[in-house]
Amino acid sequence: MSTPARRMGAMPGRREPTQLADVLERVLDKGIVIAGDIQVNLLDIELLTIRIRLLIASADKAREMGIDWWQGDPFLARGQKRGELEDRLNRLERAAGINGDTPSDDGD
Amino acid sequence: MTATEALYVYGVVPEATHPGLFADVEGIAGGRSVRLVEAKGVAAIVSPVPLGDFEEEALEQHLRDPAWLEEKVRAHDRVLAAAVGRVTVLPLRFGSIYRGEDHVRTMLAERDELADDLVRLDGLEELGVKALLDTSVLRGRLESARGADVAAGSGRAYMLRKGFERELDAEVRTFAATCADESHARLAAASVAARANPTQAPEVAGGDMILNGAYLVRFDAEEKLRSAVAELAARYGDDGVSYELTGPWPPYNFVEEGET
Repeated sequence: MSTPARRMGAMPGRREPTQLADVLERVLDKGIVIAGDIQVNLLDIELLTIRIRLLIASADKAREMGIDWWQGDPFLARGQKRGELEDRLNRLERAAGINGDTPSDDGD
Repeated sequence: MTATEALYVYGVVPEATHPGLFADVEGIAGGRSVRLVEAKGVAAIVSPVPLGDFEEEALEQHLRDPAWLEEKVRAHDRVLAAAVGRVTVLPLRFGSIYRGEDHVRTMLAERDELADDLVRLDGLEELGVKALLDTSVLRGRLESARGADVAAGSGRAYMLRKGFERELDAEVRTFAATCADESHARLAAASVAARANPTQAPEVAGGDMILNGAYLVRFDAEEKLRSAVAELAARYGDDGVSYELTGPWPPYNFVEEGET
């Protein structure tokens, strides 16, 4: 990984160092959605997006559930099955007062 | 490119864009390998990624690794940042991966809306403005403005104090809402388009965020928004409000029109 100074890329001084939340809410939640050749990531990215939105908007709720903002988030623990991820996501969304509908696997 | 590689697409720029813009920027898989793939008047910003990390199963695993994800998400943004303010950039959402240049060209050729968006957003970039309210400063001000009608002491004073606290809470909420609205309106007036996004949680924002705005501005009109921010900071600074400007970003918040 490059140093923070290198992150400024080709435009030295053009940009302040960016906070992770600002980058995440744009790169994962905004931008043009085009399904590439590698398809399976779509549901994952969708889940991830909802999760990031939740974490950024209600980290306190997530914390009450024992989930820390970003690092140390057991939601991201390696090796979890997708079903567990969805269950946990639904619980989190209910706790945060967000619509708790299951992001379904429809079409699969 | 070999059969063990794929192409990661960061965004789309006009066909005439000089590839040298990306010569110094590191791609999402490391290395100075960012280039342009052109078709139908537009060009995709791409770099090779190893299928070992970006094919279905590997990617699924990686997406649950916060350190990996943070690095890649920052890399995605860093590549686009190299072009922002120089050429019009349409940012793609994280994770568009193709198995070859011909597939990228087909995608570009099939999507006329990319060229339309490049025209619509010609010469425009996004700036972010976040406003944080230090409620202790505001409460202090409101309290001293009320004077000494609730001096501490008796049990009756305690009850008065409780009522007073509730009134203060309500005043703080009213102030936060009004200040957020007026700030957003002022910033919107200094930009081509504006969007107020949900505020970030205090743990994430480092304080009580009252505004999380995105503003579309011309490359050469950043100063107009900066002075609007300075004006707001002067107006609301004593009330405990601070403003932070971020970017310039590619117009992430303005590419998918009508989406919430």
